[in-house]
Amino acid sequence: MYVEQLELFQFRNISRLKLDCPDELHLFVGPNAQGKTNILESLYVLSIGKSHRTRKDKELIRWEQSVARLQARVVREDRSQRLEVRLHPRGKKVVRNGLEQRRLSEYIGSLTAVLFAPEDLSIVKGSPQVRRRFLDMEIGQVHPAYIHYLTRYNKLLTQRNSLLKELAKDRRPESGLLEVLDEQLIEYCTHLWKRRYQFIGRLSHWARDIHHSITQGRETLCLEYLPSAEVDPDMDEEMYADVLRQELGQLRDREIHRGSTLIGPHRDDLRLSVNGTDLHTFGSQGQQRTAALSTKLAEIELIRQETGTYPILLLDDVLSELDDSRKTHLLEAIRGKVQTFVTATGLEGIDEETLDRARIFRVRQGNISELR
Amino acid sequence: MYVPEPISKLIDGFMRLPGIGPKTAQRLAFFVLDMEEEDVMDLAKALVHAKRDLKRCRDCSNITDREVCSVCSDKNRDRSVICVVQDPRDVIAMERTREYDGLYHVLHGAISPMEGIGPDELSIPDLLKRLEDETVKELILATNPNIEGEATAMYLQRLVKPFGLKVTRIAHGLPVGGDLEYADEVTLTKALEGRREL
Repeated sequence: MYVEQLELFQFRNISRLKLDCPDELHLFVGPNAQGKTNILESLYVLSIGKSHRTRKDKELIRWEQSVARLQARVVREDRSQRLEVRLHPRGKKVVRNGLEQRRLSEYIGSLTAVLFAPEDLSIVKGSPQVRRRFLDMEIGQVHPAYIHYLTRYNKLLTQRNSLLKELAKDRRPESGLLEVLDEQLIEYCTHLWKRRYQFIGRLSHWARDIHHSITQGRETLCLEYLPSAEVDPDMDEEMYADVLRQELGQLRDREIHRGSTLIGPHRDDLRLSVNGTDLHTFGSQGQQRTAALSTKLAEIELIRQETGTYPILLLDDVLSELDDSRKTHLLEAIRGKVQTFVTATGLEGIDEETLDRARIFRVRQGNISELR
Repeated sequence: MYVPEPISKLIDGFMRLPGIGPKTAQRLAFFVLDMEEEDVMDLAKALVHAKRDLKRCRDCSNITDREVCSVCSDKNRDRSVICVVQDPRDVIAMERTREYDGLYHVLHGAISPMEGIGPDELSIPDLLKRLEDETVKELILATNPNIEGEATAMYLQRLVKPFGLKVTRIAHGLPVGGDLEYADEVTLTKALEGRREL
């Protein structure tokens, strides 16, 4: 899959942009705060329907403008599609081939993208919440129905937590309603767990191989799901349900006391370890960085496996963060397969051979000019 | 800008209605000024009567202008089946099918702890009272297929167990006349789960 042409209108600091990008490697250079990341962000928005930098779509619209428009022509197996995202302060529209898609989940998947930005280090370093968000975003990209279950699960959590709080205040005698919500919780939990286990199992497999080769066999990377209940990937749905029912029973008083749901996918975590050592606590900066990179590269392979075509790769300001051998490995791993968009402050440290095959653009105050 | 009080009150009144913003409210208010006085009176009366004269049916809690609604008092309807719905509008939708000739029970909402709506806020006690009558053999749960509607259905199913009647849940799946290829993944998954042997 690749993007043939990108057109932006009133997006962030870009008033108007038309970019032909039929090549494999595109490099955007320029000083900070000129709009390099905005270009990658726009491709990400076209892919997922929302930004990785903000939850507020309004921030994506250019200052003092009322609407923004993003358009891309995407080619997949010789067939081209027109994608469009229209942003308006009151909402957004996603359009494919001129037809508005009512649900975002019907639109997602038209353009798959993997983004690697400096913030991605927080997959290893950050809080469990960051890792859960990572899982949800990536699974949603290949299994749109997952998003539906997740949204409903979150709604259910709000309902259940409200009920727990009511029960704590003794405003309402328990009338069997909590048991009903428990059954719903079990249904959604099992679904989300199944998907997450499946995803991590596959991702871990690719990540291990990639990490092996980046570290020349010195390090074995392992991704493990840490559920908040005593479940494991070999269980079937009925066993999940039994375990949950039992644990919810034991937690009943504590949950009412705390007024919140204490087990479920919203309390789970993902553990990354190298040679058996937990990277979150004990990993060096370099190890954490390499693990994040391996995980992202694994995602590329995973998406190809699940959707049959390679996603596009967006590398935001990460080349400077990687040492030469990792950089070489990264560029080798994607060469000839993955269309890539890269931002960098300068061309230093990028080898001649890479520069030779790249199209290079200079970004200045939201304007783009081709250097070569 | 100066707006005489009667008209600004009218605008405010329209704005309380769903789906009506300041501009539409203003348009409607000025339109009312140009209407014949007789028509305005009719409209005003209709509003007041709808509010004042409508009450809930003694049996099914649906809105009616009588003690017992027209469905409940219809002797030709099948009294062994009760279809439980969330809203009076759901009754209208079901009646349009002309396929159902049992009775209804309107809950006036669904269980939602978030909004402080528990079983007691709905017409569930009335439903239980109706089930004591042994002519009722089947309860159809036709609440909406979302989190709240499903919770309500599941809650009712557990609650009425002691009555030992047949409890069914309406199916969800593909819309009739639609194309398989246009169905979203979730609907299709549900339809697949609820498949039947032919």
